[in-house]
Amino acid sequence: MKPQNPARALRSIRGYLSPNLQRHSLSRSTSLRLAPATASQAFSSTTSRHHNPTNSTVDPTEVSHFNALASSWWDPHGPSRLLHLMNPLRHGFITQCLSSSPPASHKLRFLDVGCGGGIFAESAARLPSTLSVTAIDPTPEVLKIAEGHKKRDPILAAPGKLTYLNTSIEQLPRPKTPTEAYDVVTLFEVLEHVHAPGPFLEQLLPHVKPGGWLIMSTISRTWTSWFITNVMAEDVLGMVPKGTHEWSKYVNEEELRSWFAKQPGWGSAKSLGTMYIPGLGWKEVSGGEQWGNYFFGVRRDA
Amino acid sequence: MPPRLSLGAPRTLSSLSANWVRIRPHRRFASSSADAPEVYDVVCVGGGPAGLSLLAGLKASPITSGLKVALIEGQDLHKNRLQKDASLESFSNRCSSLTPASVRNLQEIGAWPHVNTPRVQPYQEMQVWDGVTDVRISFDWNTAKPLLSPRNPSQPTTVAYMIENVNTTSMLLSRLEELGGVDFYTSTKVNSIDLGADTEKMDFSSWPTLTLSNGKTLAARLLVGADGANSPVRTFAGIESRGFDYGRHGVVASLKIEGQGWGGPDHKIAYQRFLPTGPIAMLPLPGNLSTLVWSTTPERAAKLKALSPDDFVAMVNAGFRLSPTDLEYLHTLPSGQADEVAWREKHTPVDNRAIPMRVTSVQAGTVASFPLRMRHADTYTGERVALVGDAAHTIHPLAGQGLNQGQGDAAALVRTISYAVQTGQDIGSTLALESYNSERYAENNAMLGVCDKLQRLYSVESGPLVALRSLGLRAVDAMGPLKGFFMSKAAGGT
Repeated sequence: MKPQNPARALRSIRGYLSPNLQRHSLSRSTSLRLAPATASQAFSSTTSRHHNPTNSTVDPTEVSHFNALASSWWDPHGPSRLLHLMNPLRHGFITQCLSSSPPASHKLRFLDVGCGGGIFAESAARLPSTLSVTAIDPTPEVLKIAEGHKKRDPILAAPGKLTYLNTSIEQLPRPKTPTEAYDVVTLFEVLEHVHAPGPFLEQLLPHVKPGGWLIMSTISRTWTSWFITNVMAEDVLGMVPKGTHEWSKYVNEEELRSWFAKQPGWGSAKSLGTMYIPGLGWKEVSGGEQWGNYFFGVRRDA
Repeated sequence: MPPRLSLGAPRTLSSLSANWVRIRPHRRFASSSADAPEVYDVVCVGGGPAGLSLLAGLKASPITSGLKVALIEGQDLHKNRLQKDASLESFSNRCSSLTPASVRNLQEIGAWPHVNTPRVQPYQEMQVWDGVTDVRISFDWNTAKPLLSPRNPSQPTTVAYMIENVNTTSMLLSRLEELGGVDFYTSTKVNSIDLGADTEKMDFSSWPTLTLSNGKTLAARLLVGADGANSPVRTFAGIESRGFDYGRHGVVASLKIEGQGWGGPDHKIAYQRFLPTGPIAMLPLPGNLSTLVWSTTPERAAKLKALSPDDFVAMVNAGFRLSPTDLEYLHTLPSGQADEVAWREKHTPVDNRAIPMRVTSVQAGTVASFPLRMRHADTYTGERVALVGDAAHTIHPLAGQGLNQGQGDAAALVRTISYAVQTGQDIGSTLALESYNSERYAENNAMLGVCDKLQRLYSVESGPLVALRSLGLRAVDAMGPLKGFFMSKAAGGT
C-alpha cells in the first residue's frame, strides 16, 4: 500500500508523531543532508534550487549528532548494529551487479560517499579484488573514529589501500579524465536523508568510470516503510535511535529508475528489496524494493 | 539418539596443557618487545583433530586459502604420526567413532583419501541393553525404516566408523602437507598470551599476541583455541566453562576377541551394556580386534588397571555377562578374577550371540583411564577468539559424539570465516564470529544434555525409573521410524 499524495499522507502521519520526532531529525548512518524537507519535495529533480556545488551543504546539526555517535560506531551491540548486520548484503548486491556486467578494471577502485565510521569502506578495502577505497564524510569526529579503527588492521594500513577524506561530495575534485574516475561509487543509507536527491545524485555521476557502477541503498516512501522504520524500529522496538528517519525524504525505486532513465549514458537499473527480521537478520525480499529497504544499482555505459 | 561409544575425551589424555608454562588470565598490554610480532590471520593453538580439520578446511577452499595461518602444538606432531605399514595386530587405545557426517566433511576438505583405510572399521549395527533388566534395543539401518515400506537400497548401511585418533590426525596432517601454506610450530609451547600494543602506526590492542617457547611472537587476527578441555586460550579470553565431574573414569583397552564378530567381517556390531556404575562398551576394530570403553567408579577403574592381563580379560567378559551384583563382588577380590568368573559364568545363562564374542587377550600397555566430565563454555567466541572441540565442550563418551562435535565445530567455523572473507569482514571481529557461535552452541548443548541425561537415567539401580527406562527402550526399539530419527540425529545429519 502506498500513499497517493505524500503531502497529505505526511500531514496525517504527523498527527501521530511525538514532538520529538517532528523535530529536525538526525540521521544515524550518514551525514549528507541538504536542507529541511517538506513533504511535497520528496524527489526533486530540478537543478535550479539553491544548489551551489562549491559550498558545503552539510547541516551542522548532523555534524554534532555524529560527533556524539562516533564513539559507539564500532560497538557490535551499539546503535549501529543494524548497519553492521546489513553490510554483508551490500557486498552480495554489488557482486550481483558486477557479475552481470563487470567493469574493465582488473582490480577495483571504490568511492564510498557518506562513509561514517567506515563499516563499508573497511570491508570493501579488505576484498582481494579491491585496488583501493576512497571514503568521504564531512563529519570530523566520525572520521577520527574511522581512522582509529583502520589502525587495527594491517591490511587496511597498507599505503593507498583505504583513504579517508573529510569532505563533502561537492568539494571532492571531479576526475579530469574518465580513467581517473571510480569503478564503483557507493552511497549507502544516504539518499533517504537528502533533501533534493536529483541535484545530489548529479554530483556523483561524474565520479563513476564508464563501465563502472553506482550502487546505493535506501528506503521506499510507503505506508509500510513508515510503519516499520518510524514506528516499529524507532518507537516500539527501539532498534534504531529515535528521530533517525524522516519519512518524507524517502525515495521510491521507480522514482530513481525513471530519473536514471533520463540521464544520458546510464544503463538499466537493478534493484533488490531487503528486510530486517528480528531473530533472523537482514533477508532479501523479492519485490521488497516497492515498499521497504532496497538496494539500487545502475551502470554507466558510456 | 543411538548410544554409541568412543574414547570420548581424547584431549584430556593429551599432555598439551602440561606444555603451557604461563598464562596471564588478565588481558594487559604486552611490554614492548624488541621484535614486532609476525602478523597472522588465523593462529590455531592445538593440533588435535578439531584444530587440524579447521586448518585443512581453510586451506582446501579457494576463498580462504589465501589466509596466513599458523599451528602451534606442544607435541611433535610428525613423530607421533601413524606409520603407513603399522601392524594390523596392534591398535592405539585412543579410538573414536566417526559419524557419517564427520566422514563427509573429511571427504569435502580432501582429507579422507589420506586415511589409512585398513585401520578404519565401519560398523553396521549396535546392540544396547540394560544391565539391570536386560531390555535391549538394536540399531541398524534395516530395522530403522519407515513403516510398511522396504529399506531404501541406496541408503548406506554404515552406522559409524571406528578409527584411531592418530589415524584421523595423520590423515589431516597429510592433507595439510599436500595443501601447503600452514606455518607449523610443533614441539613448541605457548609461553604467554597478551594483547598487543597501540602505537602510532598500528593499534594491536585487540589482537592476541602469543609468545612462543622458541622466542617468536605472533599476532593473531583470529586466535583459535583447539587446545583441549583446559584450554589456555579460553582462559585468556576470560570465557567461563561450566559443568561437573561425573565421578567416573573411562577405562580403555585394545582387545583381541575370539573371532571377527557374530556378523562376520562385513557386518560388524558395536555393543554397549548399561551398568549402574556406567556403560561398558566394546566397539569393533579390523580383524579380531575391538576397543573397550568402560565407564566406572575411580576405585573400580584403579582396580581394573592393576589386574593381571588374564584377570582383566575375565573382568571384561564378565562385564557383558554377569549381573551387577556379581560384578560388585568381583571388584572386591585382590586377584583370581579369571577363575571366579569362569565358575560364575557356568551358572549365568546368556544368549551368546546377543553379546560380544569372548575376549581372549588384551594388548600390552593399552589399559588406561581418564576422568569423565561434562563441561560447556559460556560462549565459543570473544573478540578475536574462537573455541573449537574440547576447548568449547566436553561430553560423556557414551554416545561417541565428542570428536564429532569438534569436527562439526571446525566445519562451521570454516563456513563462518569463509563468509566473512567474502564480505570483507574482519574475521576476528565478534560480529563476523556471531554466526559460528549461534550455529554450534545450541546444537552442542542439546547433545551434551541428551548424553548427560542418558548417563543419569542408567545409573539408577532399582525403582520405578528402571521400569520406565526399559519401557521406553522397548517402545523405541519397536518403532522403526522413531529409531531412524534417532539414528540420523546421531549420524550427524539430515
